[in-house]
Amino acid sequence: MNFTRARALELIAAAPLLGGCAFDPSAVRVGSKNFTESFVIAEIYAQALERAGMRVERLFNLGSTQIAIAAMQRGNIDCYPEYTGTALIDVLHLAPISDPRKAYAVVAGLFAQHYGIVWLNPSPMNDSQALATTRAVAASKHLATLSDVARAAPHLRLATIQEFLARPDGLPGLQRFYGGFAFREIRTYDIALKYRALLEGKADIASAFSTDGAIAIDQLVILRDDRHFWSAYNVAPVVRKAILDARPQIARVLNAISSAITDRAAQTMNAAVENAQQDPADVAATFLRRE
Amino acid sequence: MNPSTIRFERATVRYPGSNRNAIEEISFECGGGELVVLLGPSGCGKSTLLRAVNRLVPLDDGHIFVDDNNVSDVDAVELRRGIGYVIQAVGLFAHMTVAQNIAIVPTLLGWDRRTIAARVDELLDLVGLDPATYRNRHPRQLSGGEAQRIGVARAIAARPRALLMDEPFGAVDAIVRTALQRELIRIVGELKTTTLFVTHDVDEAFRLADRIVVLRGGRIEQIAVPEELFERPETGYVRDLVHAGDDVYRRYFLHGRELLRGRLQ
Amino acid sequence: MSYLAAHPLRVAGLAADHLELVALALIAALALALPLGLFAARRARLAPWVLGTLGAIYTIPSLALLAVLVRWLGLGFAPIFVALVVYAQFMLARNVVAGITGVDPAQVDAARGLGMSPSQILMRVEFPQALPVLIGGVRIAAIAMIAIATLGGYVGGVGLGVLIFNGLTLHQSQMIVAGSLAASLLAIAVDAVLRLAERLTREPAGGR
Repeated sequence: MNFTRARALELIAAAPLLGGCAFDPSAVRVGSKNFTESFVIAEIYAQALERAGMRVERLFNLGSTQIAIAAMQRGNIDCYPEYTGTALIDVLHLAPISDPRKAYAVVAGLFAQHYGIVWLNPSPMNDSQALATTRAVAASKHLATLSDVARAAPHLRLATIQEFLARPDGLPGLQRFYGGFAFREIRTYDIALKYRALLEGKADIASAFSTDGAIAIDQLVILRDDRHFWSAYNVAPVVRKAILDARPQIARVLNAISSAITDRAAQTMNAAVENAQQDPADVAATFLRRE
Repeated sequence: MNPSTIRFERATVRYPGSNRNAIEEISFECGGGELVVLLGPSGCGKSTLLRAVNRLVPLDDGHIFVDDNNVSDVDAVELRRGIGYVIQAVGLFAHMTVAQNIAIVPTLLGWDRRTIAARVDELLDLVGLDPATYRNRHPRQLSGGEAQRIGVARAIAARPRALLMDEPFGAVDAIVRTALQRELIRIVGELKTTTLFVTHDVDEAFRLADRIVVLRGGRIEQIAVPEELFERPETGYVRDLVHAGDDVYRRYFLHGRELLRGRLQ
Repeated sequence: MSYLAAHPLRVAGLAADHLELVALALIAALALALPLGLFAARRARLAPWVLGTLGAIYTIPSLALLAVLVRWLGLGFAPIFVALVVYAQFMLARNVVAGITGVDPAQVDAARGLGMSPSQILMRVEFPQALPVLIGGVRIAAIAMIAIATLGGYVGGVGLGVLIFNGLTLHQSQMIVAGSLAASLLAIAVDAVLRLAERLTREPAGGR
């Protein structure tokens, strides 16, 4: 009868629900956060795994670091690209560490201990946070370093994202470390729109990342972290220990390509996606072909 | 096959949430293939009484026996399959053909296909419709008179020994109604079915009935053959209803009756 | 348009995933809505309460419901699947009620009087005649679900929503256009197919 068949189908359809996973339980689930670089690197990881013969499911566009970590712990995703600095400050709530190797050692050790998450080899790329401005504003307001901005802040308008205002190594950390940074006006934007505010003259300073493609294209200026506040931010694949134990080849594959992601490569890829409007999947494929 | 006997013993149905009764202490018996008309004004309980026989309405007090089986004790579905049921709105199943409609009870009873097909044609003939023309029609293609003929055919398809009819000809015009009444007399004469027929139309009652049960306010005023209602009306209500004592009416009602039956010769 | 032209297979694949998600959710939703709607159809006094409750649930902003579901069910297929099933209830149950109660009561009375059991009345009289209305409800629900399912892209799910939300994050309008266009075309196609089904069930079985 109609009802029995429908109920059976319902149960079949509900089975993935019970497993808490998507359609294919044998796939490796790769996540990404919700900004271009995360997309590109995650896509690189995903395609590398696929080239090695594994089935991959993509759960990209996760809203924040917290969501990504929570997803890892629930087993919703198996791996994603994470930054040593973000893990150190945002997740472990420790003081920033500028030395890349030290930062990596600390986060790798603690994540393995507390979260059952393994850090694979880090990339040379260091995407640290930064403040950016236009050449015009830098010239007219005499801004070259963060200390300059800290002092001049009451005359400056900041364009930023919500996370920057909340995270300890964002604005709160800057204010504590440098003093000052009392901006005349602070407005939050979607991560993709904040540069437009800067370029349209609606803001003087924007929070940024040093590998943003816009920096190269729009000839923005990065303000120097003269007192070395910001942590190292090397990206590495973080993987759930359980799946790594089950499939150690994941480590081999991801470590191999991780070492190829340099600052330059990152900026180029970011620019290709953001400015040339290319699909991250295509950009990642191009990158992998070259390696 | 013998026609059913239907016996009412103090049958009572209450209106919910009221101490008035739809029908009260109804007791009488009928059978032997007779056509008994339940006659009365709107709200007198005649439909309720009819629908209590096939348990569409449950009794609150008293009993009804069909062939000595208490209707409250037997399985309702089985009971209804053995009793024909015709309503004013006909209720032909719109998504089925005429043949499928007529065949519904035999289908439920599991008759084989060929027997059913033969029976359908036989019944269409009986109600005066050409099987080849009507078999595959749909209810929406039928006139009011045709629809009700098929409603009757559907009700008697499985050869029930009792037949319940609730103002079946009330929705058709007078000319068609007369034709249907004539057909009914002919059909009921051929079948061996005890028939209960509900109407508010005195004229119709006199044309069709072997006996008439006059109802008012849920109670029986009088049960009698038509002539006796004229000769010996037991209450003032009955006297007024049939215009007893008025010779013109008397001749009109009884003449109509003879006319309908006389034409059959 | 250019993204669509450059990546036809990707868009088609996502559209197929999208359709699969909606189809599965529809089946599950029907399995719930049919008994629920029947229950309400049989109880005239309760029906407004049942439908009213479902209607109130329907007004919950989908993103809010999805956020709650993600907390319980995690990311991916599960929360968007459940959200779709929940939202579809209102439209489906309402049409079940309308379809069943819209059946000519004389036919139901005749069916009862002739000796059909309640389940026989349902299967042979009420359901066949309620079918066009039911399919109409499925059609409306499917269209709405195709739209709501795009939110799946926000919670790591599958389907065309991935294209739309990725496009938003990467600020690539071509992706957004491709995803939205594909979703619209999907909705139009599904609508056309179900309209045809609706019309076919209205037609009488058999001929003159």
